[in-house]
Amino acid sequence: MTPRDFAIKYGFIALLLGLIVFFTLATDGFASPQAAVFIFQSVAITGVLALGVTATLVVGGFDLSIGSVATTAMMAAAYAMVVLEQNALVAVVICIVIGVLVGLINGYLIVYMRVPDLLATLGMMFLLVGLQRIPTEGRSIATGMTMPDGSVANGTFSPAFLALGRHRFDFFIPNLIPVSVVVLLILAVLIWFFLEYTRFGRMMYAVGSNPRAAELAGAPVKAYKIWAYVISGVFASIGGILLAARLGRGDIASGNNLLLDSVAAALIGFAVLGAAKPNAFGTAIGALFVGVLLQGLTMMNAPYYTQDFVKGAVLVVALVFTFALSNRGRS
Amino acid sequence: MNFTRRTLGKMAIGLAAATCLMQMPAMAADMPAPFDKPGDVKIALVRYLSTGDFFQAYLSGVESQAKALGVDLRVLDSRQDAALQADMVDQAIALGVQGIIIQHGLTESMKDAAQRAVDAGIKVVAFDVNVENDKIPQIEQSDRDLARLALEQAVKDNGESWKAGYVYVAGIAPLDRRNETWVEFKKKYPGINEAAMFGTLDNPIANSVANQARSVLTANPDIKVMFAPYDEFAKGVKIAVDEAGLSKDIKIYSADISTSDIAAMREPDSAWAATAATNPAVVGQVSVRALAQLLAGEDPGHNVVVPPTLITQKDLIDNDIKNMEELSAKLPQFAHADVAMPAWMPNPNAK
Repeated sequence: MTPRDFAIKYGFIALLLGLIVFFTLATDGFASPQAAVFIFQSVAITGVLALGVTATLVVGGFDLSIGSVATTAMMAAAYAMVVLEQNALVAVVICIVIGVLVGLINGYLIVYMRVPDLLATLGMMFLLVGLQRIPTEGRSIATGMTMPDGSVANGTFSPAFLALGRHRFDFFIPNLIPVSVVVLLILAVLIWFFLEYTRFGRMMYAVGSNPRAAELAGAPVKAYKIWAYVISGVFASIGGILLAARLGRGDIASGNNLLLDSVAAALIGFAVLGAAKPNAFGTAIGALFVGVLLQGLTMMNAPYYTQDFVKGAVLVVALVFTFALSNRGRS
Repeated sequence: MNFTRRTLGKMAIGLAAATCLMQMPAMAADMPAPFDKPGDVKIALVRYLSTGDFFQAYLSGVESQAKALGVDLRVLDSRQDAALQADMVDQAIALGVQGIIIQHGLTESMKDAAQRAVDAGIKVVAFDVNVENDKIPQIEQSDRDLARLALEQAVKDNGESWKAGYVYVAGIAPLDRRNETWVEFKKKYPGINEAAMFGTLDNPIANSVANQARSVLTANPDIKVMFAPYDEFAKGVKIAVDEAGLSKDIKIYSADISTSDIAAMREPDSAWAATAATNPAVVGQVSVRALAQLLAGEDPGHNVVVPPTLITQKDLIDNDIKNMEELSAKLPQFAHADVAMPAWMPNPNAK
């Protein structure tokens, strides 16, 4: 292995370790189990979304609607519990159903209506940003809110649902690991195993790298593509559930920042281990990388705009790793 | 039979009309021109910002005051399109309205449009956008007073020296004005030590701020007071404080209020101690009243300031206030501001 190969393969992970060492020396309290956990927690929601978008990247597509799927799921969960006074299970099921439906519609538009993926999911994004506001006429949802017809919504977020955002599991230290981090880790392992080691996952890569060849080889390309969008929709709605559980209310939000951060994580993931392609492990590392950077910078009192700058710089460097240094990108 | 029924019907209609007459018009008769015939008065609300709880409440205030006056209100919403908002002023001129309320917007795009409306003989008031025109009264919620009330409460609760975390994003006009007060306060009380300043407007804002605040609390575990002069910031800080298990050690002071803020402040052991707020619905009412004064030939003054109210956790719990409606009902100073309120003006809050 030449130094160049080494740099491509381990450069990004070395950079991540270097950052951790730097922040440990530069700030107080960075190197503690609690700090490690909240870095994970801060990237849990974007991480889950990023894993979903990875699935669409694998089949050569793209999903711009994930951010708004997440915020729509958040509003739906809040609406189900606060206005319709349903329990946590119903709220979660409604969110997942929304994710599946949006995924199916996205997939249908792209595969059968032949709408380019960026445009179809862009349309879906706008549609959802508007849709989530219709039931409450643009108000955020919280217990005690007044509905458009003048009645007062008396439902509350059920404790079981809030636990999804607030409960912490004991892990050597009591009350250490929040549910959202566990969800992130489970989903990351699941999607990683699914994409790398199952026939279904490998076929998705085949569809992504050459849909025509895959089709000629007898693969149901259309079905694989639709499945990818369904996965993406479901992951985004899970992200929305975690968001609602953390905030404890239904917040009007476009979710654009969630979209951008998760896409950045997935793209940074291309560079990890020199994969030069979408991969779940890389996405998880990418999300973690952004989290370490942002939390470290915040601890050093860096203002928010430097954080956007740094995020952008990391993305550019990662893309250079992917496309310029690796042989695959050169082709 | 027929005859009787018809008579009965007529009597019923007559009675209903009489009841209506008795309720409303006692004042209508007393109102100066042009409000002696309020149905002929058309006013327009030209909006720049409209999504979110604040703007919904503002609109409801404008609507309730317009209804109390009996005037015809048109709402033109440009949805954050500065050019469209300027066009909408022209559209309102073409509609033949007598008065226009400009709600938010950019000085650069609205200055000329506002001047065109004034030239067309239309009365104009502006809320939270400076259109640089002497003829146009500016409606303001006093951001400096908001920050001052919250900070005075912080000093009252915690003494004059503490370590503070401060949430701020520069370049947003109301936040900049609140920041001026914070800077003054730090000068006035040298014991107040700003250990960290952070903030972001990435949405969902509360979630992004919570992530930042967690880092700040880890880096500065001795922070006693968090000054978060915008309720989305305060929600984020509260989430972080709860997650760090510090809700009993830290107090949060903020500005603005909504139903979900009230719920967060009322939680057991909530760190959110107090917030200073202007009722957006009242600001909406004051906007219409100032415009009505202009139309009636009175002068509301160039700066019409709506004073804020301090709302503490104790107020909410003692009065069992759970949402904005109960807040208005139980803290009268929050429900109504005696601004732009000549004797003839109908009060939309009066039952």
